[in-house]
Amino acid sequence: MLKGTLDLLVLKALTLGPMHGFEIVSWLEQRSNGSVGVDDGALYYALHRMEERGWIESEWRLTSNNRKARYYRVRAAGRAHLKTEGALLEKYARALVDILALRTS
Amino acid sequence: MRNTRRLFHLDPLSRRLARAEMRDELAFHLEERVAQLVALGMTPDEARAEAIRRLGAAWADADAQLEHSAELKERRLNVRERLQEFADDVRYALRGLAARPGFTAIAVLTLGIGIGANTAIYSAVDALLLRSLPFAEPGRLFDIVQRSSEDGDAAWSFPKYAFFRDAQKSYQSLAAHGPTQTIITGTEPERVYAEEVTTAYLKTLGVRVAKGRDFPSELDAAGGARRVTIISDALWQRRFNADPAAIGQSLSFNNQPWEIIGILPPDFRGLSGRAEALLNLTARPADALSEPWSLEFSMIGRLREGVTAEQAVAEAALIGPRIYDAFPMQGGTLTTSKKPEQWTAEARPLNTIRVAKGLKRSLLVLFGAVAMVLLIACVNLANLLVARAMSRKQEIAVRLALGAGRGRLVRLMVTESLVLALLGGAASLAVALAGTRMLSAINPQDTLRVQGLTGGIGAVGFDAIRLDASALLFTFLVTVSVGLLFGLAPALGATRQSLIRDLKDGSSGSGRRTGAGRRVLVVAEVALALVLLAGSGLMIRSLGKLLAVDPGFDGRNVLTLRLSMPAGTVSPDSMPGFYERLQEEISGVPGVEQVAIADCPPLNNGCNGTIMTVADRPQSATGNAMVGVHWASQNWFETMRVPLKRGRLFTAEDRLNAPKVVLINEATARKYFQGEDPLGKRIAVYQGGFHTGAEIIGIVGDVRFGTIDSTAVPDVYISYGQARLPRMMVFVRTAGDPSAMAPAVRAAVQRVAPLAPVFDVRPMSARIANASAQARYSAVLLGLFAAMALSLAVMGIYGVLSFAVAQRTGEIGIRMALGAERGRVLALVMRDGAILAAIGLAIGVLTALALTRVLRTMLFEVTTTDPLTYAAMAVVLAMAVAIASWIPARRAARVDPVIALRKG
Repeated sequence: MLKGTLDLLVLKALTLGPMHGFEIVSWLEQRSNGSVGVDDGALYYALHRMEERGWIESEWRLTSNNRKARYYRVRAAGRAHLKTEGALLEKYARALVDILALRTS
Repeated sequence: MRNTRRLFHLDPLSRRLARAEMRDELAFHLEERVAQLVALGMTPDEARAEAIRRLGAAWADADAQLEHSAELKERRLNVRERLQEFADDVRYALRGLAARPGFTAIAVLTLGIGIGANTAIYSAVDALLLRSLPFAEPGRLFDIVQRSSEDGDAAWSFPKYAFFRDAQKSYQSLAAHGPTQTIITGTEPERVYAEEVTTAYLKTLGVRVAKGRDFPSELDAAGGARRVTIISDALWQRRFNADPAAIGQSLSFNNQPWEIIGILPPDFRGLSGRAEALLNLTARPADALSEPWSLEFSMIGRLREGVTAEQAVAEAALIGPRIYDAFPMQGGTLTTSKKPEQWTAEARPLNTIRVAKGLKRSLLVLFGAVAMVLLIACVNLANLLVARAMSRKQEIAVRLALGAGRGRLVRLMVTESLVLALLGGAASLAVALAGTRMLSAINPQDTLRVQGLTGGIGAVGFDAIRLDASALLFTFLVTVSVGLLFGLAPALGATRQSLIRDLKDGSSGSGRRTGAGRRVLVVAEVALALVLLAGSGLMIRSLGKLLAVDPGFDGRNVLTLRLSMPAGTVSPDSMPGFYERLQEEISGVPGVEQVAIADCPPLNNGCNGTIMTVADRPQSATGNAMVGVHWASQNWFETMRVPLKRGRLFTAEDRLNAPKVVLINEATARKYFQGEDPLGKRIAVYQGGFHTGAEIIGIVGDVRFGTIDSTAVPDVYISYGQARLPRMMVFVRTAGDPSAMAPAVRAAVQRVAPLAPVFDVRPMSARIANASAQARYSAVLLGLFAAMALSLAVMGIYGVLSFAVAQRTGEIGIRMALGAERGRVLALVMRDGAILAAIGLAIGVLTALALTRVLRTMLFEVTTTDPLTYAAMAVVLAMAVAIASWIPARRAARVDPVIALRKG
């Protein structure tokens, strides 16, 4: 995976609402039909890094079956990062797709 | 560096916090991942390995932290942390119980009733059987009786008591005592219970007077001593307004002045438990204490320091025969038994006679029965918890796979059952309180006919039954044991380690092993229920036979009342005239049909009795003919519908100076006049001046004066016309409801005898009811317990079969899809219940046959193996089981194969 993309994917997931780590992984796996494989350990390192940067914040809450879990929520800084970096990445990805799609005779 | 740390909020404390949080977070993640992988088909071990691999270094990091802190935790784990953990478990349990209000309500209710009933019966057992007697060093107190080989326990006369007292060396103090009734005469006449006692009575028991002084011992020297009394605290309060000046004052008993020398402590009212006054026994005139065969007193003794119970028993056995030699039977004696009658004396700890044997047995049987009910309740709850544990199998398996210790999980589940039990225990207090109130309100003197020389001491009364510290401790211990009992087994079963299959699919696993366990529980329930049903069935049948007994008279529409004539109110010579005036006055009351007088009512648990001799019979020292002696007015037999079998009844001609005549009952004729015609024979009875002999003029039917379940004993009737007696019971046959007539009759008596207290006014039917009260109490309580057992067992069967049907919905659906008819499905489930019931019934019948033997002495004309009872109870239980299995069976038969298959 490209460097920095994991952060963006996580931020994107969190725009849907607060989620805990496992929910984020599950969501990503589901949305990408398994083609985006996220290393569980890397996810948590990313989460904690982003929290330190102030992009997201966390809070312990009860899950629907009364278990305690750490829920993450995206903050304004995170949204801003997602917007700018996301736009850059999108541009980059499209360029990449265009290039790879060029028929070479 | 320091600044950087501050910038990132990473001072050591918050870093540790962050670490701890991360550990928790990853642990949660791991659990979720394992559950997911397992659901996809991995084994728990594989799943765990894979989950850890995916977390990689992050986990290793957190794991190291975890291990480190676990070590720390272990080192620091103190009571407080354990308590915290326990509190967490309790909170978890409460949350779980609140989430299932139906289950919780049923469980708490079942336990509350079960434990409460146990506590109530336990407090009765404690008060009546266990608690030590309320006297100083009660172990040294002995009750000494005379024993006849013919008639069993007998009381003492004053001369015999004195003989024993002077011959013995085992006791530091001995006293004779006997209950009596007397009348406080004067401004407000009042009938009171009292005790005649020798001076050492209080000293022997170790009771001190609250005020004043004890009896001076010199009073014991001879009859005709000073009349002194020690009165009860209640009487002192009532009649003297608790004035200390009462001591030294005179109180009039029976128109004679008695000097009050002391006041009893408030909690002591004599061994009879209801004495208002202790009367100096030797105040009787000397000739009223000289008759050696006037057996009317009990004897208690306090052992000397260092004397053992064995020594005391041996000594009594030695002295006993010497007493008989010293006071041989007067006149001729006769007996039908071949062995000569032996008299001896027996000493036994006072504690052994604290309650009547029958009562003790009833109590223990009830205690056993109520414990069985609780056991069934526990079995039921265990069943419910097993079912619940099975529905949580997957959760438990995940926790185990994640490395949760089995001990931890068991503790969690047992905490839940303990919390449940404690809730039930708390609810049980209401039941126990109501139960003890009900039991303590039982007045054995009036309703259970537990009295008499061997019928227990009144000081140990039902009113001592209360919900005290000992009962609360009992409740607590039972509650905790119950919680462990029904919680531990399901917890251990559910956390058994071979649960891979449960992890893979929690929904359709039928849990064959736990299923089998539940079946065993149901069989046990049915068996226990049958034992209780059989026991109560036997008691109820026995009660039925008891109620069907012909007591020898017709007690319907008869009002009875007692009357005491204080000495001096009617001159002795005018007594016959008084009886007639009394009867005439009562006859004048509208609605009164007949009026008669006798000295003792039927079913009185025994009346007055003495020795009879027959004139012209060879004298022999082989035994004594004991007969009951009854005073009766001439029309008593007609009023009570007691049939005259031969000869004639008393007439108005049988007056004081006319030739003395007696009536005998058929039992006397049978026992003492075999093959002879008793009519015209002369007999002597040593009461009422009839020792000089009287002619038998008639034979009447047997009346049961004792208990309803004992056959009539030989009785002799004396006419009030020929023998004066200041005590009497008036029998009034009425046209309508006898209770409604009571005020008018009472008023009529008061017109004739204004100074005589009237008491014990009751319809004869109430006396008949009381005669079977103990049997009825036992039968009703046992029946109640059996009904509880039955309903619990039915609930248990219903629960197991419903669960089985729910689990087999898929299978049933397939069967029906393949063409099985609804009838067959119905039969399938019903057969399941029938097999459980049949095994339970078989075990139950065998157990009941063994256990109901304890009922033997409580049953009347019913054997403990009564086939009819067993058959009836088995049918009742079988029908109940059939209904309990029919509901789930019908549900199974209504399964829609399409829906079932789709779900399955």
